[in-house]
Amino acid sequence: MWEVTSRVVVYAAIGAVLYGLLLVIQVPLPGTQNVSLRPAFGLVSFFGYAFGPIVGFFTGTVGNAIGDQLSGYGALTAWNWSLANGFVGLIAGLAPLYLGRLMNGTLPQRALGGAIAGVVATIVGFLFVWTDMVTGGMDFNAVLTTEYIPVVVGNVIVTAIVVPILVFVWEPIKERMGR
Amino acid sequence: MNYAPRYLGRGSWLARRDPRVLILALFLFVFTVIQMWDARVVLFLLLVAYTYYRSAAIPWPGVRRQWAFLLLFLTALVTLNSLITGGDVPNIPPGQYDVFFTVPILGTPVSAQSVAYAGTQLLRFVAMTMVGFPVAYAIAPDQFGIAFRRLGVPDKFAFAIDLTFRFLPSLSNDMQTTADAQRVRGHDWQEARGGPIARLRNTMPVVVPSVINALVGAEDTIDAMDLRGFGTGKRSWLKHLVYDRADKLVIAYFVAQFAVLTVLGFTTDISQIWVPPFLIDLANR
Amino acid sequence: PLPQAAEPLLRIDDFSFTYRRASQPAVRGISLIVEAGEILLVAGPSGCGKSTLIRGINGLIPHAYTGTVAGEVRIEGRPVAELRLRDLAQVIGTVLQDPARQIVGATVEAELAFGPENLAVPREAIRDGIREVFEQTGIGHLSGRETAALSGGERQLVAVGGILMMRPRLYVVDEPLANLDPMTASQLLTILRRMADAGSAVIIVEHRVEEALELRPDRVLYMEQGATQYLGPVDGFLEIADPALVKLPFEAIVAQVRRSHASASAAPVPLPPASPPHPPQPEIPPRVEYVDVRAGYGAVEILHDVSARLGATETVAILGPNGSGKTTLFKAAMKLLPLMGGGIAVDGEDTAKRRVVEMARTFGYVFQSPSQMFFARTVKEELIFGPSNFGADPASFDELVRDSLAHVGLDAEEDILERPPMTLSFGQQKRLAIAIALCMRPRTLILDEPSAGQDHASAARFMAQVRAIPEIESLYLVTHDVDLALTHADRILLFREGRVVADGSPAEVVRDLDRWRACNLRETTLMQANARWAPADGGFVDAERLAAIAAGQP
Ligand SMILES: Nc1ncnc2c1ncn2[C@@H]1O[C@H](COP(=O)(O)OP(=O)(O)OP(=O)(O)O)[C@@H](O)[C@H]1O
Ligand SMILES: Nc1ncnc2c1ncn2[C@@H]1O[C@H](COP(=O)(O)OP(=O)(O)OP(=O)(O)O)[C@@H](O)[C@H]1O
Ligand SMILES: [Mg+2]
Ligand SMILES: [Mg+2]
Repeated sequence: MWEVTSRVVVYAAIGAVLYGLLLVIQVPLPGTQNVSLRPAFGLVSFFGYAFGPIVGFFTGTVGNAIGDQLSGYGALTAWNWSLANGFVGLIAGLAPLYLGRLMNGTLPQRALGGAIAGVVATIVGFLFVWTDMVTGGMDFNAVLTTEYIPVVVGNVIVTAIVVPILVFVWEPIKERMGR
Repeated sequence: MNYAPRYLGRGSWLARRDPRVLILALFLFVFTVIQMWDARVVLFLLLVAYTYYRSAAIPWPGVRRQWAFLLLFLTALVTLNSLITGGDVPNIPPGQYDVFFTVPILGTPVSAQSVAYAGTQLLRFVAMTMVGFPVAYAIAPDQFGIAFRRLGVPDKFAFAIDLTFRFLPSLSNDMQTTADAQRVRGHDWQEARGGPIARLRNTMPVVVPSVINALVGAEDTIDAMDLRGFGTGKRSWLKHLVYDRADKLVIAYFVAQFAVLTVLGFTTDISQIWVPPFLIDLANR
Repeated sequence: PLPQAAEPLLRIDDFSFTYRRASQPAVRGISLIVEAGEILLVAGPSGCGKSTLIRGINGLIPHAYTGTVAGEVRIEGRPVAELRLRDLAQVIGTVLQDPARQIVGATVEAELAFGPENLAVPREAIRDGIREVFEQTGIGHLSGRETAALSGGERQLVAVGGILMMRPRLYVVDEPLANLDPMTASQLLTILRRMADAGSAVIIVEHRVEEALELRPDRVLYMEQGATQYLGPVDGFLEIADPALVKLPFEAIVAQVRRSHASASAAPVPLPPASPPHPPQPEIPPRVEYVDVRAGYGAVEILHDVSARLGATETVAILGPNGSGKTTLFKAAMKLLPLMGGGIAVDGEDTAKRRVVEMARTFGYVFQSPSQMFFARTVKEELIFGPSNFGADPASFDELVRDSLAHVGLDAEEDILERPPMTLSFGQQKRLAIAIALCMRPRTLILDEPSAGQDHASAARFMAQVRAIPEIESLYLVTHDVDLALTHADRILLFREGRVVADGSPAEVVRDLDRWRACNLRETTLMQANARWAPADGGFVDAERLAAIAAGQP
């Protein structure tokens, strides 16, 4: 799980780039001002779940930095948010530790496993944004209501939908490539 | 989809520095700022940040939008924060506020203290952002990998960062092609149809092929790397980094600043909120 | 690894391999020996196991691919299975088929340095190495360029450069010519020849046999269904190879016809019917008309004042160097990129006001890389995606799907409808992409590089299939396969540096050979033969018929 092969390195780089680039695709949520669904977020959990914690962490951290960079926000401006994304990927990548049975099951079960791992990872991983209390002197409730809740709600929805779709398409192809 | 990592500060004094300097400077600076709550010190740090930022010569038109967006966002954040906290300020007992007025419905008091707090908060954010920007705009894309390597990141991760910049343009083109291929079949992810979920699913014909193709293509890349002995042992790097005198001076400064202010932070009360007297007068008019 | 004088560089004994999830072996019972300085050409239909054999040689099998291996592969006497990839990397240099995927460096220098870096070669040594490789390959002018911004051809050369840096004793090259224009292709072959003359061995897999012969290979390995069909000198191969399956030099085909005459007691073979000549009638209005079109990417202008008319009932082929803007030409017509100037009219109507979706009703556009549109879980979903976007009647889908698959000859595949598209072989994917286009019932079909990576037989078959479809009025194709273009097209557009430099019937266009070469094209043996044997009516005759004619004469 922690071995770094060229496979891990390549998947990590690809995950980060895809996440960063696809962040341009956003679906606004009606009735909210700044909250929008970002399908790309599904990739963080997918890459973690499919290729392990290292790939997941890199995808989340570097990918988010790239996204911020492309949107002009600045790669390291919100570095603690990038790390939060990284932890999401990392936790999703640890799925074998807590979802072993589902992961060795049928394709639908593995897809379900992906969704669960992703949702768990999203809820836990983003706890890291409370570092804003230190960096920004934010209040606990402020982080909760203005940052954590809006972001996590949107991302949980995305994860629950996107991860299973990707697992469903990728797994048969992976099987076919036979390695 | 414009991927171009924007190397806006190209050729500037800061861009000519060793990339490690910019990264180290940012972290040293951030860890300095987050300790400081005295507006006077924060203003000083802001001045430092501004000088530093200017030395990156990032053309204003290139980042105007970002700054506008950032300031708006940060202001909103700070305001919301003080509203939610009910206008009270860390380490200042509720009794001692010099109130201007209370916000109608919410009943949150707006006091000299809360204003000072919010203001300082904003200045801190801006200062950190200013030192962050050069990392984004004044480091040549192909320097990140080696920079992180020389900062102690292991070979493979450092190379993964290089690889990221290798994949950026090509995957971005592929994505464009995929979007085009779907438009040619009468599908456009930008066309809004139905509720948010439906629209989310509507983006899948672009997202899924982009991901899957990249992964399938990766098989060849992986082979190509294995066949050239990647990760089978210690590797050397063609790119080379050496600190010159200016580099050393810059780092020395940020280290010193961090050290001094940290010490002062514990000995004096610059780590406490400072309320400008004129605000208090204003409140007590 | 210490070379042992007695042992050959490469020795394969009865090698077989079955991929983990495959039912029967992809390669079976291959045995051969390659000595230093030797060149071996490996040919065979798509899917016959060439790449698998290569993986067996360079150690990816068994090191990266799991499956059942039989027999043994030895490098300088040592079993590949026992060597580490790191050690193999210093003996064997592999160039994979798709350079875009092989390249790992963001810049040309980074790519060249990658291999030596992994072997911890000191910085200065790497610098010297880069300088040498620049001289050997003549790609010095690319120094400092971003690999992503290179044209297909340039990228292929850089990938080879990256391998040269490793100074291997055995070069293994998998279909290097796919997607290369003829001139660039021969430039690359020259480099390989030089390596062989310098004492390295070269194993090259290639569909474009006729061009690969320029390497003067010592021997040919011809495979079918994973097994050796022929292994020996080139001449013997040219005698037995079937021109329908392998693209042979014209003389070889004539020789074969002569021999068959002799054996068939000089019974005159009936001429295959000529392809019906399209009378180039005046097209009013043409299907597509470019008027002083300027277009490109970002600020970079690629098409410079292009004016051309593509008829509504013509087959038009676009030929030109890598990176000359052929693909861009049709992207512009499909409104996939904004015009910087000029205008494009479709059926006499300016496209400025029209949307991509509307264009899709007229044109079936098949992209250069087919897989980039596949997203559905099954081939069927993939096929009906387009029609349902156009709100076609779901009742008609089954028939639609069946027809389009039949047209491209995919209907025979077992449970094709349920297969995930990405698991089809490259050739099949390309044909599925065409089926997808056909599902939209287009009047004009645009094919970008239909023959890339396909063997001669399937390329020819699939052109015939497409042209047989009645509702397709016109066919426009971009290709590097000169003979394919000359034999199938009514008209040829020569393209160079974003400009149309020639426009006319095949016979007319090939007349000016200097212009021809200036477009990175070369004179194929079939062209020479046409110049010599073809009937005076001016049409361009395909190899089979021409050979029949030529064989008749002294
Ligand atoms: N990774 C893989 N897993 C399972 N089967 C594979 C894999 N790669 C190839 N095959 C199968 O093995 C057979 C030989 O494939 P291979 O790629 O060696 O053919 P090829 O001669 O290189 O074809 P082409 O000329 O199209 O490249 C084919 O039937 C193919 O479907
Ligand atoms: N998405 C893109 N962004 C920027 N430049 C591009 C893009 N696509 C192509 N180019 C550049 O435009 C030029 C023409 O590209 P195009 O693909 O039209 O060439 P081509 O004639 O199709 O070449 P080939 O025969 O290799 O397919 C090339 O120099 C290429 O580098
Ligand atoms: Mg192959
Ligand atoms: Mg092209």
